[in-house]
Amino acid sequence: MNQTYPFKFWCKQQVNRFAPGLFFIGLVLLWECICVFGKVPNYILPAPSSIITAFLNVEFSRWMTHLWATLRVALMGFFLSIIIAIPLSIGMMRSELMNRVLYPALIVIQSTPVVAVAPLIIVLLGTDDPSRVLITCLITFFPLVVSTTTGMLETPPEMIELSKSLRAPRYRETWQIRIPYAIPHIFSGLRVSITLAIIGAVVAEFVAAEEGLGYFIQFSTSFFKIPQAFAGLIFLSIISLLLFKSVQWVQMWLFPWSLPKKK
Amino acid sequence: MKTKLKFTLFASLITSTSVMAADKVTFQLDWLPGGDKAPVYVGIQQGFFEALDLDVSIASGRGSTDALTKMATGQSDIGSSDIGALMAARAQDDVPVVAVLPYFTQAPHAFFVLKSSGIKSIKDLKGKKIATSPFTSSNAFLPLVLKENGFSEEDIQLVKSDPGALAPMMITGNADAIIAWVTNTALFKNQASSVGKEVIEMPWSDSGLSLYSSSLLASEKFLTERPDVAKRFVKAYAKAIQFTYEFPDKAGADLHKMVPEVDAGIVSAQIKSITNLVFNDVTEKDGFGYFTPERIQKTWKYVAEANGLEDDALEPMMIVNNDFIPE
Amino acid sequence: MGPVPNKTDKNLTYVSLKGVGHKYDPHPNSPMVVQDIDLDIHRHEFVAVVGPSGCGKSTLLRMVAGLLVPSHGSVSVFNLPVTEPRDDVGIVFQKANLLPWLTVRKNVLFPLKHKYGRYSSADEVRANELLEMAGLMQFADKMPDELSGGMQQRVGIVRALLLNPDILLMDEPFSALDALTREQIGFDLLDIWREHPKTVLFITHSISEAVLLSDRILVMSKRPGTVMDLIEVDLARPRTSKTINSPRFAELTDIIRGYIYEPNVPV
Repeated sequence: MNQTYPFKFWCKQQVNRFAPGLFFIGLVLLWECICVFGKVPNYILPAPSSIITAFLNVEFSRWMTHLWATLRVALMGFFLSIIIAIPLSIGMMRSELMNRVLYPALIVIQSTPVVAVAPLIIVLLGTDDPSRVLITCLITFFPLVVSTTTGMLETPPEMIELSKSLRAPRYRETWQIRIPYAIPHIFSGLRVSITLAIIGAVVAEFVAAEEGLGYFIQFSTSFFKIPQAFAGLIFLSIISLLLFKSVQWVQMWLFPWSLPKKK
Repeated sequence: MKTKLKFTLFASLITSTSVMAADKVTFQLDWLPGGDKAPVYVGIQQGFFEALDLDVSIASGRGSTDALTKMATGQSDIGSSDIGALMAARAQDDVPVVAVLPYFTQAPHAFFVLKSSGIKSIKDLKGKKIATSPFTSSNAFLPLVLKENGFSEEDIQLVKSDPGALAPMMITGNADAIIAWVTNTALFKNQASSVGKEVIEMPWSDSGLSLYSSSLLASEKFLTERPDVAKRFVKAYAKAIQFTYEFPDKAGADLHKMVPEVDAGIVSAQIKSITNLVFNDVTEKDGFGYFTPERIQKTWKYVAEANGLEDDALEPMMIVNNDFIPE
Repeated sequence: MGPVPNKTDKNLTYVSLKGVGHKYDPHPNSPMVVQDIDLDIHRHEFVAVVGPSGCGKSTLLRMVAGLLVPSHGSVSVFNLPVTEPRDDVGIVFQKANLLPWLTVRKNVLFPLKHKYGRYSSADEVRANELLEMAGLMQFADKMPDELSGGMQQRVGIVRALLLNPDILLMDEPFSALDALTREQIGFDLLDIWREHPKTVLFITHSISEAVLLSDRILVMSKRPGTVMDLIEVDLARPRTSKTINSPRFAELTDIIRGYIYEPNVPV
């Protein structure tokens, strides 16, 4: 008994460790089997093997060109929206008037389909990066404004009383209390925004671009190269996932205290 | 900011070393690169533009209207787009774009069916299920081509679907026929043969729909401010068209060189399959490279009817500028 | 600011409330939260306020702190009307409210950092002394979430002492703690108070806590809160766990309990 217990425990540990990976591999194998034995043609659902072949058939340097084009726009749009959203949230938190004037405007911007105004943006800013960055920014900044504002408003009221009782200047109340308290909220906003940034960059590439993963997918589809389009799509999802993870890493690295406590 | 600066420096370095003070021209495509867009790539790769001291860059588009807008607002100088879209736009608005050179002298619209379906002519489509994409200009011409064949849209079942889904719908039997441009023939044949089926195209031009289609359009600003550059461009472009259809394999290779994602083989197959849109009985009669008033008039009549516009909404020759035709 | 008071003057009233009343809604017919409160607190006196929940104890404290302006009557500190928070008044809140991104030491130094944007090495020495006194020195570099609730609240008290206030306002500071911790921290507070004598206004809803800690107890009625009695706690100091077992302790708690549970029976 005494000897089997640690072994069982060890087995359980290993299962927990490898289960997600094994599940994923199993899923891919199942997909492959359905495609091969079900004789599903490539243009309906390409088999994983033909997606991998399509991926390898595109030169590595081309992948990097497209990746860099999308990543560049997504990150510039993402950082631009941080630069806009956080000061805006601070302003809206501090001024009731600003809040009442801007909030409806923000909701209008958010609920306007960007694709509908994209041609206008292209006419105003041209067909280069600035247009695409703006389109990305329009998609990403709203969740950030909402999460930052919510976070700052959820500061414990007694902390604000402490600040008032010290007669500290208001900017220190904002910087030393409200913003740090909003960090967990800001980061959940950032996690949403970074994945939206990729979607934004891809949407922008659908409107006007000569390179980028979104352009590549659209292009592959126009030539009915479905496996190649899927390869682009999967590459894109992997990038999204990595960016999402990076936001978590940055939070772990800079603000470890802001993570939820493990039970 | 820094990247932009670097980019500008880099760009100026390239231009200053390779082409000394060549005239810059931005060429607008109305869609993504493909076989029918090959001439401009050929012009660059074969040095036709460089020989006339032109430095051409290419911008891809997302449909005729998108291309027109980009030319009208000065994002690009000259480009290829559907002359019908230009006519419709000019009839309703003062768009500063004119047509300078015909490219497709026949309409590219067509029905596609599987050989196994037993459908042999457009007349056989009566009562059938036909799939089309939601935003293609073909939809406007569909009633006209059906009328030429003695029936109307009410006699068919029309479904709309994503362009990429059309061929699979036909191959899997979800649609009896599909509507697409003949520029896709080579791609459809490829797809169908992978499951052992054969595709037949039925171009609408064969059943009466005879009009100008894809053409070389230019912004009026470009033509008035830099007429000499425009003239040289049209000359080189016309030469590139001739070359493209004379040597489809070389054209395919040229396009592949600039857009590596494109298969040279597919491009040359596309070019071969659309040669009759560019060189046909119309060009034989009228000669290659300029718009005749009669055919412009005829094209407008179709466009007006298809778009529900009054016949006198536009003086169609107003949108044509024949001054830039190469001697 | 007017004349600087001589704080060593035995007769100087530290805190004075005269006919104080408050309501949150300025409408004339709206209900009062507290009403007709009169109270004088003198140098180094420990005054507790007890009363049922919602009787306006915390409202009273916030008016003394200068965080709320009374709608009736006047609140003064050192004979000067309170118009805004003062440097010589410190507050300890119901929850420790430590900033989770700062170490214990930095939390203690936070009032300086927050008020002036910086602190000196002399301030750090003082923070260390206070932490040492509260038995927290070994936790100085820990993060707040590594501390138990009781220790966190001790840090909260130390933080309030940093600016060396003459008056300490405590708003149910131990109510979030479990019973055992609560009793222990009460004795800890008495130790700290003996070493650093302060004038204390202590809000609580625990009758025995009030009796154990204070010199006088203000008993408030339920809303609108009025003064039911002001009880002199004549238990000898220093008070220890033995105090709790003394008959007088039981008597005093019974008297107060009588007010709270049978408010209409005169004593």
